[in-house]
Amino acid sequence: MHTPPEQGLVARVEGLSKRYGSGPAAVAALTDVSLGIRSGEFTAIMGPSGSGKSTLMHIMAGLDSPSSGRAWIGEQEITSLGDRELTLVRRRRVGFVFQSFNLVPTLDVEANIRFPFELDGRAPSRDEAAWLDRLIDALGLRARLRHRPAQLSGGQQQRVAIARALGSRPALVFADEPTGNLDSRTGREVLALLSAAAAEYGQAIAMVTHDPIAASHADRVVFINDGRLVADRPRTPAAEISEFMLGIEARS
Amino acid sequence: MSGSLRGHGATVLVTALATVFGVGLLGVTEVIAQATSESVGDDPSVRLMLTIVSFVFTAIAIYVAAVVTTNTVATIVAGRLRTIALVRLLGATAAGERRRLAREGLLAGAAGAAIGMVAAWALVLALVLVGIATGALPDRAYSFITVTMAVPVGAVVLATWLAAWSGSRRVLAVTPVAALGAAVPEGEQPVRARRGRAVVAAILFALGLALLALGIAVGMVSPAGMLIAVIGGIASFTGVIAGSVFVIPQLLRLAGLLLGRDAAAVLGARNALRHPERSSRSAIALVIGVTLVTMFAVAGETFRHTVLQMVTDRWGDAGLQQFDQTLTTMTMILSFLVGFSAVIAAVGLVNALTVGVLQRTREFGLLRALGFSTGQLRRTIAVEAVQLTATAFVLGTALGIGYGWAGAQSLIGSEAGHGRLIPPVVPWWFLVGVAAVAALLALSGSLLPARHATRVSPVQALAVE
Repeated sequence: MHTPPEQGLVARVEGLSKRYGSGPAAVAALTDVSLGIRSGEFTAIMGPSGSGKSTLMHIMAGLDSPSSGRAWIGEQEITSLGDRELTLVRRRRVGFVFQSFNLVPTLDVEANIRFPFELDGRAPSRDEAAWLDRLIDALGLRARLRHRPAQLSGGQQQRVAIARALGSRPALVFADEPTGNLDSRTGREVLALLSAAAAEYGQAIAMVTHDPIAASHADRVVFINDGRLVADRPRTPAAEISEFMLGIEARS
Repeated sequence: MSGSLRGHGATVLVTALATVFGVGLLGVTEVIAQATSESVGDDPSVRLMLTIVSFVFTAIAIYVAAVVTTNTVATIVAGRLRTIALVRLLGATAAGERRRLAREGLLAGAAGAAIGMVAAWALVLALVLVGIATGALPDRAYSFITVTMAVPVGAVVLATWLAAWSGSRRVLAVTPVAALGAAVPEGEQPVRARRGRAVVAAILFALGLALLALGIAVGMVSPAGMLIAVIGGIASFTGVIAGSVFVIPQLLRLAGLLLGRDAAAVLGARNALRHPERSSRSAIALVIGVTLVTMFAVAGETFRHTVLQMVTDRWGDAGLQQFDQTLTTMTMILSFLVGFSAVIAAVGLVNALTVGVLQRTREFGLLRALGFSTGQLRRTIAVEAVQLTATAFVLGTALGIGYGWAGAQSLIGSEAGHGRLIPPVVPWWFLVGVAAVAALLALSGSLLPARHATRVSPVQALAVE
């Protein structure tokens, strides 16, 4: 049953289930989840701890395989790929920003930003180099290019990670609790940068979080609970998200 | 990304030592040959024999250096797990990461070999100058740089490259998703059922034992039995090293039972078991060193006693003294030659322990936060070191006595045995000395870095990624 990808979808999953263990002791991490991520949209995937949101992200990024169901990045189905092809998908089509330990500690800022090109064994083209320059200026990293990650604050490290994630213009950027380690002001700045990347550069961004304030910066909020997709909302204020989450937790 | 030599210090050091040894021996052989060419004539067979002896002992040194390098690289991988997971997540291939580590090893080996070669030349030159000054050598020009020196240098570089490749195997098991884990991953995972490794180790060990037995049997009629026994010894010992990760934890468990019942002792004893790969890596360097020196000591003593017995039987006490003198000199030279490999093993032991302790700064921070005093923590680390030393010493001594006796038996069994086995002679005072040195190395190798690891505050230690 091949379904042609919908217009504007850069990543999607269909009928996704993930179980751990077998028999009566099996635990369902995901049950029949279908979801599409649109380009130019900043999507938050919300849910309490243990809801399955991280498992969903891992499968969407080709880091884990589902028990049943399928996943695509762009036109390419990734559920059937081997380790080598998945490595190339991650290198060329996906960007990552996560909570901490984002950067290669032995490389300076510039080398970290160029790392995806380095892995591909090629120098950025003139066009790509101009794009990297633009990102470095937009993220205020020009003066830090020779610094090592350990010499940067948490917020600066996240900026470098964002520059790296956007640098190869991937189909999709995954952000896993990107503000989890930051103070609230720095966290707001990072969220604004992600939001701007979606609005200005048409970048698709999927952010996994359990923080209602972080989710309120997104264009769209998807709620996961007990491994099921329970709601799909447009941009929502933090208070409403919070209330909705409390409702979910009370019911479960 | 170019390779970096961070963490490869031990590799550079042991490859340099192995090269100094190999090149130095050839240089000294050359000088001796030139110095004696006028008095005894240039005898090609003497020079050939000395060259062969040099190569045999250099091969032992390179083998030990390669094992140390394998462990050093495996330790580096254990310390870089999180970074490796990160670059895998960003799209680096596992094979590519492994190649990069092997390339770092190659670079370290090449650097060590270059340093070692120059150091060996300087050393031989110094020996020549001292020899001439003291009149031990005829005053003339010596040219001691030979083409054959390319053999140890090339062998060191090649062996280091292979060792780094073999030590980096665990890179293949690092999953990219580990980089996303909120929890810092444990230094290592428990040994999974790796049947392939166990089977290879068992086959090598069994095959080696069979060859040893064959060597002893052939040795009853001809000294050539020793050559078979040497091959059997190398094969079975490689089996022991490959299987160490299965055997050593069991021995550590036994040793741990003897170390007392208070919190520090129990924790130390369990720690050694919690990371069987790390414990085995630290222990195996010590096992190699103890096995080597014990083997040569037992073989030398057994050989000496048996030959002196034969001399006394045939010619009475008259010839005894001169014979004893010659044999003692020979044993001393052999001890020096094998002692060099033991030094390389000692570097491996100290490096494995030091890095092992430093990599656990976070774990020690947790224990401090839970209320362990620095004194208790040091005692825990000391208990681990004592447990490790005792285990490795017992295993190495048992192997060394077995190999040493097999070597002596297969070499002189046809002359002295009259169809019976000759009893091994074990120099116990020597083993006590080896135990003392091993304990000293193990304690200093873990307690000195422990001072550093426990000096940081618990909060800082827990923040270490």
